[in-house]
Amino acid sequence: MKLTRRLLLSAVAISLAGVLPSLAAAADKIAIITPSPDNPFFKAEADGAAAKAKELGYDVMVLVHDDDANKQSELFDSAIAAGVKAIILDNAGADASVAAVQKAKDAGIPSFLIDREITKAGVAVSQIVSNNYQGAQLGAGEFVKLMGEKGPYAELLGKESDTNAGIRSKGYHDVIDQYPDMKPVAQQTANWSQTEAYSVMESILQAHPEIKGVISGNDTMAMGAYAALEAAGRKDVIVVGFDGSNDVRDSIKAGGIKATVLQPAYQQAQMAVEQADKFIKTGATGIEEKQLMDCVLINGDNAAKLETFALAQ
Amino acid sequence: MRPMSLALASILMAVTLTGCKIVKTQTQPATASAGSDASEAGHVDQVLADTYDAKLLPLIAQNALTVADLRRAVTADLDATGKAHGNRGAGAGAAWNFAVKGQGTVIAANLESRARKADLDTDGDGAADVTLQLGPVINGTALRDLAPFYDFGQFRDQIEFAKLARAINDKASAALTLPEGDLVGRKLNFLGAVTLKKPTDPFVVTAVTVGVAP
Repeated sequence: MKLTRRLLLSAVAISLAGVLPSLAAAADKIAIITPSPDNPFFKAEADGAAAKAKELGYDVMVLVHDDDANKQSELFDSAIAAGVKAIILDNAGADASVAAVQKAKDAGIPSFLIDREITKAGVAVSQIVSNNYQGAQLGAGEFVKLMGEKGPYAELLGKESDTNAGIRSKGYHDVIDQYPDMKPVAQQTANWSQTEAYSVMESILQAHPEIKGVISGNDTMAMGAYAALEAAGRKDVIVVGFDGSNDVRDSIKAGGIKATVLQPAYQQAQMAVEQADKFIKTGATGIEEKQLMDCVLINGDNAAKLETFALAQ
Repeated sequence: MRPMSLALASILMAVTLTGCKIVKTQTQPATASAGSDASEAGHVDQVLADTYDAKLLPLIAQNALTVADLRRAVTADLDATGKAHGNRGAGAGAAWNFAVKGQGTVIAANLESRARKADLDTDGDGAADVTLQLGPVINGTALRDLAPFYDFGQFRDQIEFAKLARAINDKASAALTLPEGDLVGRKLNFLGAVTLKKPTDPFVVTAVTVGVAP
């Protein structure tokens, strides 16, 4: 009897190990994969996710894909080999990431996406993204108001492979294009990059010295653009960003950049981990795959309350 | 013993397999995401045509609280008032939306802007306490989000859902007729929608009807 039971148990253990290697791993681990933490937005995400995972008793494996889909694919292999229980991902491209997420799913590892969507539904368990369109409308409304509803302006676009670049631009134009006296004179990508935005802004200024405003797809590009404007003695140009970084907050407080839109990145990452935890424990999140989070306008009125992508009440 | 462990193993397999049962969602979004811009616009137009006069306007008329009643209720308990009389937009952190009606004297108005506005005093203390959005540019999504029958899940993505909000706002503001001349000092009545994230948020009302009060 005793022997039978022991044999049975070992049979169970063997079958477990065979069927689901991840279940057999001793410590429960969650992988957190994001773009480079050089952009504080992604750092806040990774920090928020790691803090929540540790709070819930998981080990964390923090990885950076540097917006390189090939590297992301390798990181997924590492995470799968490490037997993680779940992957929290801010992905490296809406199309290119589908295969990596599918690979994890095939290995029995659920993925929980934050910030950026992928182009296929039903592969990740959750996709929690900021309501970028709503946020862009907020930012554009403030931009138009600051511009006095008229004047020539430039737009800096984000990285084309990222759906948020297009969504934000559409949200901006949904509002701005309702004002016939707002004149778009330049629309260029700076790939979310501060240094690229600096040089793009320099050339826009040369071609269109008459511009009165710059609306930017994110805060790092807004910082780069404002630095170029400042260097050219054009601090009169109105700059509006998107993300709600501490850098832009400080610039707003100092009278530089005029406004941005906060994405609740820290809270979003924490929500993803909570859903991962629930999924690991119960096999379901009980929530729809695609979830939106509202953005908040940040300007001189509330900038002081902003800290690390969270707004104090 | 052997068949038993096999049975156990297969049960385990079955259990672990059902553990990742995301299969059913795979088919549904594939069709939903196939829509081109043209069919997307068609969908939004269709939803608007089906609902605006038939459902949305009656809902607003039926559910509208007066400015004073709504303000009193949300100051006491925003969430309870929202559950009883309002509707929450899609997603975490979304605000409550309410239908609201009232009348007041225009204290200030900006009709030069593309986003025309009038500030009204509804409680007679001489200070403005409600801002009416009069279009043609309307900010926000109050009209869409106060209706429980507009479900984000039935739209392709956040862009299509946003297009619905814009279409509703355009329809509402196009239907407004304002009295001629300066509004300041005139008494207006209105029916519309307001979005409140906090009880202390200013009442910025997207109007669906505005008239000169007797």
